[in-house]
Amino acid sequence: MLSRVADNLYWMNRYVERAESLARMVEVNQDNLLELDNNIEVDRFWLSSFHAFHAHEYIDHEKENSAECFFLFSDSWPSSIRNCIFSARENARMVRDQLSEEIWVELNSIYHFFRSKDAEVSFDQTPQQFFQKVIRFSLVFQGLSDATVNHDEGWLFMSLGKYLERADQTSRALDALTLKEKKPSRKDLIAALRICSALSAFRRQYRGELSLRNVAEFLLFSQDFPRSMRFAIRRIDSNLHELSGVPSGNFSNEAERLAGSALATVNFTNIDAVLTRGLHLSLDELQLSLMDVGQKIFETYVMSPLELQNVNDDQSMQAQQ
Amino acid sequence: MNPAPFEKYKTEDFFDEMFGNSPREPLLHYQKIFDRISRLTPVEIAEKRSHADSSFLEHGITFTVYGDEEGTEKIFPFDLIPRIIPRAEWEIVEQGLTQRILALNLFLNDIYHDGKILSDGVIPKEIVYSSPNYRREMVGIDVPKDIYVHVCGSDLIRDETGTYYVLEDNARCPSGVSYLLENRQIMKRTFPQTFQGMSVRSVELYPEILLSTLEYLSPRRSQKPVCVVLTPGIYNSAYFEHTFLARQMGIEIVEGRDLIAIDGYVYMRTTHGLVQVDVIYRRLDDDYLDPLFFNKDSTLGVAGLMDAYLKGNVALANGIGTGVADDKVTYAYVPEMIQYYLGQDPILPNVPTYLCWRESDRNHVLENLENLVVKPANESGGYGLLVGTDSTKKEREEYKERIKSNPRDFIAQPIVSLSRHPTIFEDTIEGRHVDLRPFILYGKDIDIVPGGLTRVALRKDSLVVNSSQGGGSKDTWVLEN
Repeated sequence: MLSRVADNLYWMNRYVERAESLARMVEVNQDNLLELDNNIEVDRFWLSSFHAFHAHEYIDHEKENSAECFFLFSDSWPSSIRNCIFSARENARMVRDQLSEEIWVELNSIYHFFRSKDAEVSFDQTPQQFFQKVIRFSLVFQGLSDATVNHDEGWLFMSLGKYLERADQTSRALDALTLKEKKPSRKDLIAALRICSALSAFRRQYRGELSLRNVAEFLLFSQDFPRSMRFAIRRIDSNLHELSGVPSGNFSNEAERLAGSALATVNFTNIDAVLTRGLHLSLDELQLSLMDVGQKIFETYVMSPLELQNVNDDQSMQAQQ
Repeated sequence: MNPAPFEKYKTEDFFDEMFGNSPREPLLHYQKIFDRISRLTPVEIAEKRSHADSSFLEHGITFTVYGDEEGTEKIFPFDLIPRIIPRAEWEIVEQGLTQRILALNLFLNDIYHDGKILSDGVIPKEIVYSSPNYRREMVGIDVPKDIYVHVCGSDLIRDETGTYYVLEDNARCPSGVSYLLENRQIMKRTFPQTFQGMSVRSVELYPEILLSTLEYLSPRRSQKPVCVVLTPGIYNSAYFEHTFLARQMGIEIVEGRDLIAIDGYVYMRTTHGLVQVDVIYRRLDDDYLDPLFFNKDSTLGVAGLMDAYLKGNVALANGIGTGVADDKVTYAYVPEMIQYYLGQDPILPNVPTYLCWRESDRNHVLENLENLVVKPANESGGYGLLVGTDSTKKEREEYKERIKSNPRDFIAQPIVSLSRHPTIFEDTIEGRHVDLRPFILYGKDIDIVPGGLTRVALRKDSLVVNSSQGGGSKDTWVLEN
């Protein structure tokens, strides 16, 4: 398929996944905020989220009168939910011929919702319904991607976008716990789980044993939970091997090598080692290695060999085979 | 007995597509539609309208308006009453259009080779050579099958007697065919009962025929040709159409950055490396195609594309340099071309045209501006034209100066009272002016999609039907019998 098309499909899915994660993050946090009663506490509360998303430099106090509005509607922050929806649709518009009509109609209707005043009005008056709309959109979108599109090369790029973003978002939800000024409370731990839709799955596995250790272990290492880092990285690794046809365990390009290495990390480390080393540091390293995987996917499949030569003519050429 | 929706309908002094010149009795081929619409209540009409509108928006069947906030997408307003063309009438139109596309192609082949029509004095040399769309690079170049214009959209209008005229030819990148195809889909969905017993000719084969028209040009015979649609990108007003056609044909839609020219061949970049491209259906004007040949600042094109084209390693549809054939000054000579190349009388007449570069014509134009339509010779989309009767004195004076300083760039035509068609508004049906853009494909054979895109000027009394100027469209039916 066209390299650009692969790139557009990848980003379309990343943005949809990002919008969903953010919607859940803001929804959960807003919920918790209801029980705080002074502004200083509220500001502090959001601070860790701003840091986890590296978003603090984008805040425009003139325009956004609340942290929620920033995460949802900011024009300047490229990852606000509105910008995510716009970017997802723009990518989709470039590859409309690859999408089913159903997918397009869903994406288009949420786009028109965010383009009009309806989105802000809905958030203002019925926030619950607003968040549900965004989350449901993403879930329907994913369902349609599975049910109405050929599971061919394009689909693999969509899946790569989804799982790279998901792994990243899960790591940020966890990281927000390490960025709190105080030791995370029970409430903070529950929030992190809810942001990852993981609360009931976690309870089933750990019963009532709510601790930072258990939450981190679950979100990092769960074999079966679809938003754990390990689950997502396993999918990324298998998608990459399906793309190239090279068996898992070997690699034919840098993206495969790095994904394999990240998978080995989550497969063969345990929570005690992570906590000894520091949760924040370990998460940071994982985030960086996943960013590298994304970059190498781009270099392997999107940029042509000629351009790569111009941009960087040493080691990255090995990625092209 | 005048049923409700048409009770207050007035045809006034215009030719009405439904009623002809008689104010009350619908023409025979409109009788069934007339009856069916007459039976609808205003509520039913409103429901159908809003259903059609939301279908268009949901499915993203939109066009982009320039000069508005960047990337504003609008739906192309759709009117539910179809325009109907009886079989016999259509056959004549078809013959006229066939004759015309043949003549235009012979003309292009001639002026880029021996220039006989010029040396015989049928068309003045300076007209051709002064056209901004004349491409010197093409002189002496043989294009595949000697066809330059593969896709042509010639706009037709009817005057107060119902006579068809050609208003202009679009021989570069005519757009609108996707709306024609979507209109039919939406019409079938929202108003299925109107089709019963009408034997409307189908339009859905267009993408298939377009693809075989493209494949016919392929320089490589050995394998299934690789054809692509080249688009300027998502901010182009016709982007929806580009993806629509690519999807319907099952071929890739590419932007300039997806292509690369190496040593006289064009390739597309894929996840599995470079793939050679044989035929490019380009929806990009000549000027933007290749920064090495044309506009150096263009980032939409492909450096080296022209080199590959001139070497015959890649085919372009439409060919390079076709703009000289739809120059509005050249247009005035198409009847002469038909005579010269085919030895036939033109079946579809031109609208009388004054060429401002001719002194006598220019003087007439300058003196009679308030009764004429003046058009720039090389614009499309209804941009930059002056409708004399709708203009202020100040506008006319300014326009006169523009004509005087650049007479070659302007032509003028008498204001034709375009035919009108009943069109649905909030709670009434009123007559609005319409034109017709048929789409002609020229590959192995000449194929014309039955009907075309009927565009309707939604503003009362407006004669400008372009989508960029607030026009809408209708489904267009050619009847089998």
